[in-house]
Amino acid sequence: MIVGKILTAATAVALLIAAPALAEDGFLGTDFASIEGSVEFEGTAFAQDPRYAGQEDNAVSVAVRAKTVLEWSDTAIGGADATVTITPFVRFDPNDGERTHADLREAKLDLRFGETDVTIGNDFVFWGKTEVDQIVDIINQTDGVEGTDGEDKLGQPMIRVSRLVNIGEVSGEASVFYLPYFRERTFPGTESRLRGAAIIDGNDARYETSAEEWTPSFAARLAGFYGDFDIGLSAFHGLSRDPAFEVKPGSVNPATGEFELRPVYGRITQLGLDGQYTAGSTLWKAELVGRLDQRNAAFEKEDYFAAIAGLEHTLYGVGESNADLGLIAEYAYDSRGNDALTIFENDVVLGARLALNDTQDSAALFTATVDTDTAETLLRLEGERRIGEIAKLSIEGGAFVNTDTASPVDQLQDDHYLRATLAVFW
Amino acid sequence: MSFSGRLAGLIVRMRWVWIVMSLALVAGFGSGMQYLTLDPDARIFFAEENPDRIALDAFEAEFAKDDNLILVVEPKDGKVFTPATLAAVGTLTEKAWLLPSVRRVDSITNFQNTSAEGDDMTVRDLVEDPATVTQAQADAAKAIALDRVSLVHSVIPPAADVTTVNVLFRLPGKEMNEVPMIVAETQALASEFRAEHPEIGLRLTGSVMVNNQFAQSGMEDAASLTPMMFGAILLIVFLAFFSIAGVFMTVLVIAFSAIVGLGALGWSGVAMNSVTISAPLITMTLAVASVVHLLASVRQTMVETPDRKEWARVALEEHMSEIAIACVTTAIGFLALNFSISPPFRELGNVVAVGVIAAMVFTLTLLPALVSILPMKRHLKPARTDRFMRPIAEFVIKWRRLILWGGATVVVILMAGIPRLALEDDFVRYFDERYEFRRDTDFYENRLGGMNILEWALPSGESEGISDPEYLAKVGAFTEWLREQEKVRNVRSLTDTIARLNMNMHGDDPAYHRLPEGADEAAQYLFFYELSLGYGMDLTDQINIDKSKLRISASMANVTTSDMHALTADAREWLNTNAPDMAVEPTGLTHVFNQISYRDVRAMLVGTVLALVAISALILLILRDVKLGLISLIPNLIPAGMAFGIWGYSVGAVTLAIAVVIAMTLGIVVDDTVHFLSKYKEGKRRGMSAEDSVRHAFDKVGMALVVTTVGLVVGFAILAQSGFAVNGDMAKLTALTITLALIADFLLLPAILIALDKRTETMSIKHATAAAFAVVIGLGAMPEAKAQSAEDKGLAIAQESDRRDLGWGDFRSSGQMILRDSAGNESRRDFEGMNLERSGAGEGDYSVIVFNSPRDIKGTATLTHSKVEPADDDQWIFLPALKRVKRISSSNRTGKFVSSEFSFEDLGSQEVADNTYKWLRDEPCPSQPSLTCHVTESYPKNARSGYSKRIAWTDTTEYRQWKVEFYNRRGDLEKTLTASGFQQYLGKFWRPASLLMQNVQTGKSTVLNFPQYQFNAGLSEGDFNAQRLPRLSR
Repeated sequence: MIVGKILTAATAVALLIAAPALAEDGFLGTDFASIEGSVEFEGTAFAQDPRYAGQEDNAVSVAVRAKTVLEWSDTAIGGADATVTITPFVRFDPNDGERTHADLREAKLDLRFGETDVTIGNDFVFWGKTEVDQIVDIINQTDGVEGTDGEDKLGQPMIRVSRLVNIGEVSGEASVFYLPYFRERTFPGTESRLRGAAIIDGNDARYETSAEEWTPSFAARLAGFYGDFDIGLSAFHGLSRDPAFEVKPGSVNPATGEFELRPVYGRITQLGLDGQYTAGSTLWKAELVGRLDQRNAAFEKEDYFAAIAGLEHTLYGVGESNADLGLIAEYAYDSRGNDALTIFENDVVLGARLALNDTQDSAALFTATVDTDTAETLLRLEGERRIGEIAKLSIEGGAFVNTDTASPVDQLQDDHYLRATLAVFW
Repeated sequence: MSFSGRLAGLIVRMRWVWIVMSLALVAGFGSGMQYLTLDPDARIFFAEENPDRIALDAFEAEFAKDDNLILVVEPKDGKVFTPATLAAVGTLTEKAWLLPSVRRVDSITNFQNTSAEGDDMTVRDLVEDPATVTQAQADAAKAIALDRVSLVHSVIPPAADVTTVNVLFRLPGKEMNEVPMIVAETQALASEFRAEHPEIGLRLTGSVMVNNQFAQSGMEDAASLTPMMFGAILLIVFLAFFSIAGVFMTVLVIAFSAIVGLGALGWSGVAMNSVTISAPLITMTLAVASVVHLLASVRQTMVETPDRKEWARVALEEHMSEIAIACVTTAIGFLALNFSISPPFRELGNVVAVGVIAAMVFTLTLLPALVSILPMKRHLKPARTDRFMRPIAEFVIKWRRLILWGGATVVVILMAGIPRLALEDDFVRYFDERYEFRRDTDFYENRLGGMNILEWALPSGESEGISDPEYLAKVGAFTEWLREQEKVRNVRSLTDTIARLNMNMHGDDPAYHRLPEGADEAAQYLFFYELSLGYGMDLTDQINIDKSKLRISASMANVTTSDMHALTADAREWLNTNAPDMAVEPTGLTHVFNQISYRDVRAMLVGTVLALVAISALILLILRDVKLGLISLIPNLIPAGMAFGIWGYSVGAVTLAIAVVIAMTLGIVVDDTVHFLSKYKEGKRRGMSAEDSVRHAFDKVGMALVVTTVGLVVGFAILAQSGFAVNGDMAKLTALTITLALIADFLLLPAILIALDKRTETMSIKHATAAAFAVVIGLGAMPEAKAQSAEDKGLAIAQESDRRDLGWGDFRSSGQMILRDSAGNESRRDFEGMNLERSGAGEGDYSVIVFNSPRDIKGTATLTHSKVEPADDDQWIFLPALKRVKRISSSNRTGKFVSSEFSFEDLGSQEVADNTYKWLRDEPCPSQPSLTCHVTESYPKNARSGYSKRIAWTDTTEYRQWKVEFYNRRGDLEKTLTASGFQQYLGKFWRPASLLMQNVQTGKSTVLNFPQYQFNAGLSEGDFNAQRLPRLSR
């Protein structure tokens, strides 16, 4: 793995050095070329002292992202338009070895043949409609050290073929995916806050398939819209992106009883349905998945289904201003109940999104996730505002209220945090 | 299943709940009825804030409140001045003093006669000892009495054949029963008198009797009309359904509704009065319409299934919304009565509104519950009523032109009768001749004085100023002037007394029967006179406390409100000319009644308009069709106008009830129109011709409209039997209006619908509406030729602009947006765009915008599939950070695009059909004076548009828009768009290089630069697919 990190970092440095050359039109005969990126400075403050030994207190870190796009029209490859996109990402966190990491978010070649697109390489694919969580989204692995909400993903190597489909009034796109390589989830290390009591050693994963991370996965998706309805149907067969956990052999300390966990990845099959109905300023959203052979929190293979449904209603120009206020209400259900690998197993999420629509694009999102069984509540606030033309300040805060001792969130009860990020774009 | 279907199922399943709930509701509200009292006072019609009432209260506080009872004594031998009659009058005068709360009793016997006795003056009763009076003394008294102006035409007529005993009261005003108690005791006194003196007739009138009558007639109405109403309703329901159970349910629902309305009044602690007493009758009438509606549907369903629950469920499902709408519009109409200046009408409006809403609740819950529980006879033959309506439909369709023009003529002729209406508010003539009070009062007015009294409190301008000879002279002159007026029977003025005192002080020398010349004399006389007056006979009701004002009372008999208005105006004229310092308006109960209709008509105008707006909004919501909504105004409004016209031609005089009739009937007649129009629209939607849609409407709702109208008309016709003119007029006008509304709905409405349908083929909706309005105002004339051409021309310009820009295919563009705030700070956004033309009918264009800067939103892309208004566009946004494509709402027309001065609406593609147009003028173009520009106004059809109108300058040669002014919803200029640097592409299509949008309200502006357009970029629909948006962002 360390080889991968070094390679990515090297690519990033090489791109940075090559940037001035790349930015010139005609480099490598391109019809379009651009290089751009950002540097992110991040500081996180925690309200309370660490709960577990080894955790560092308030932390700062730096991340660099660079994106290079090269485009050729009417190439020799069947007259297709070709685009190469390379986006390396590096984070350096002096307090946290696991968080110091690099990833090739994107490293891909897109080919466009009229109504057919082919993508080869690392890419992101987002599926889903709902706000709080996207249960149908399965292509990319979660970058567990980057953010707290699971929305940060790792680039997924793939070959994708997409084709536009128009059946009567329905217009959309059908895609098939071949995913030859599996990305392991990243987990916070000993020094990290926002982790559970037991350390998870993400580098010591166990696979239930013989080919391990080279086990291929396959996926297909049909997505489109009909009138006010947007619908997506998806199927996936391959290694589950959600690991189950077992005690890492040899990690048990007989004196203290402490131990480490390791992730276990097994093969699953998932069918998903996501839809949205746009009724004026109210968006009705729902996602539904059924998954077979997934190991649950009790480490048993279980077939389950999960659903999220809700709405987002936007009030435009609240209080005579230009601001829009979006009201979000969603309900998440998971048939595994307490054995679910997600905290959204029977939760109501209420939220409000405020967009000031000023020239700085100031916006804020507040959500409260309430477990209907235990009343355990997760509060989350995000805010952002552009500074000048090239910088953006973001603030993110989280609090874990009324945690339930039986819930993994209980272990985060001292980790109420506030994170500020300043991103400078170049 | 539909929403109403599920709701209907739920209601029927929970039927026992409704029965319990209804009983609880009735018990809860009904228990409020115990607090109901009846307010016997003519003044209930005057609100606290009525300025005339305020003036009257001030007057009465200064002088006295004349609550009086006039006992009219009529000796059968026609001679008052006989010992027997005078003895009887004397006894009556004495006994009258014993009535409760008496302040003073005036009669011919205790008249305070002054005479000279040497140098001295004495004041004596005219008949000092009535019991022992001789014929000679009687004759002497007669001579004196007929000589006194203050007595003639008030206490004694010149023929001396009748006389009065006038009893004045000082009512404590604490209890509601004061007046009825006094009247009861007086009547006991009267019967005793009649028994003792069979040779003398005795009649009762006066303001106390008026007040009593207000309560009396209310109770009589309630007692006599309620059984009639029940009888009629039951008969109608029985004849319609041949079902005892149906009758029983109807009675239950209507009685419950009336009880809830009355109970609400009781709980609110407001006393009933002669107007609100008709509320339960009106409520029941209106409730029957809802009940019949539902039962008629039950009658249809029972043919198909024996399952009672199914009868109720189907009836509810199909008619729930119609019943709810009917009740809500009716309630709105009645609630509008709150704008009346007369509290009884406000209370009536609120009680009926509560009752009607209760009727709705009971009809939609209790009634279906009863239907599903009670055994009801099942009829197996369907009630075939459709065929009755067919001939009417065919008649209308065949003769529609005749009906349209003939109808318009009839409407105009009838409405021309409105000016003939005379507002007539006379509290005596509010009550018709069936009442003894009215007959007695008529007798009194025919033989003696008048009940209508105008009062002037003439100011001298200073304390003790009334003895000023100059002032007295003017008052004397005014008194004389009033006496000369034709309609004036009697004038009461202290100047008569002073002149007489002057004569008495000069040894009864007739030469001195005039006002004294010195100020001291008048004051001394009055002082001396007051000292000599008998108990309770003081002058405080004629002179105010600081002796600065004298009261002049002119009583008139058998006059109309307009007669009194004329006298008021003449008096104003006289005072302004001859005594400008004393020019005051009259007051008195009569005066307040004289003004009340004029004030109420104006006040109700506001309420009526608001009700019209609210009800029209509701209609628009139901019909979802602006054209039909506007047409519906015709049959909703003209029936009331025609009813007023007919009344003007036939009766003429109308009470203040007229003010509230339009608002009241509007909510009722609107139901017929809505039902007819919605069935018509249903027909049109199914692709029927206008004629077939009219047939469809007649088949579906024709009979139901007839039945409900008959029910309502019968109900109001019964109420019209009231002897109280305010209620009677209201009911008669309402019944007439409802009848005319049905005729208008059956004849005029279909004729208009067919005519407009034909016309819209060649004419825009706007013109059709204008034509419809022309019919409304009864002109029937076509809109002016100029107005027509301005709109056609505006449309033609828009179409030509659109035509010239057809066929551009597709283009890519890149541009930037520069946002400036009022301080001059700049912010930039760079973007690339892709546009694709879609030329099919009803197809909107496609567009993609991808942002390049600011850097944090780089790659953010929006895709828009525009739609023809009012449909929302389809819009997606791509968020590069999450790689997420999100469908977003595009209903926000007015929001600012990336916080620029361009709203989403400004940037969306404009289709010709999105607006209506009007050409204003041609003039040199704003920034290119060498070119001529068409100046056109356009009005967005979409109600959610941020604009009321746009004014555009389009040049006449190339049809480029150089300037557009945007007017916000309030109608103020909000933004100005200026285009510059037009370039022609592909030898045909003009595009501006720069657009400047300036917000004149905020001082902010946005420049949109398009340095580059690339037409024929080879884009296809596939490039505008939401799923492909991630790959368009780079």
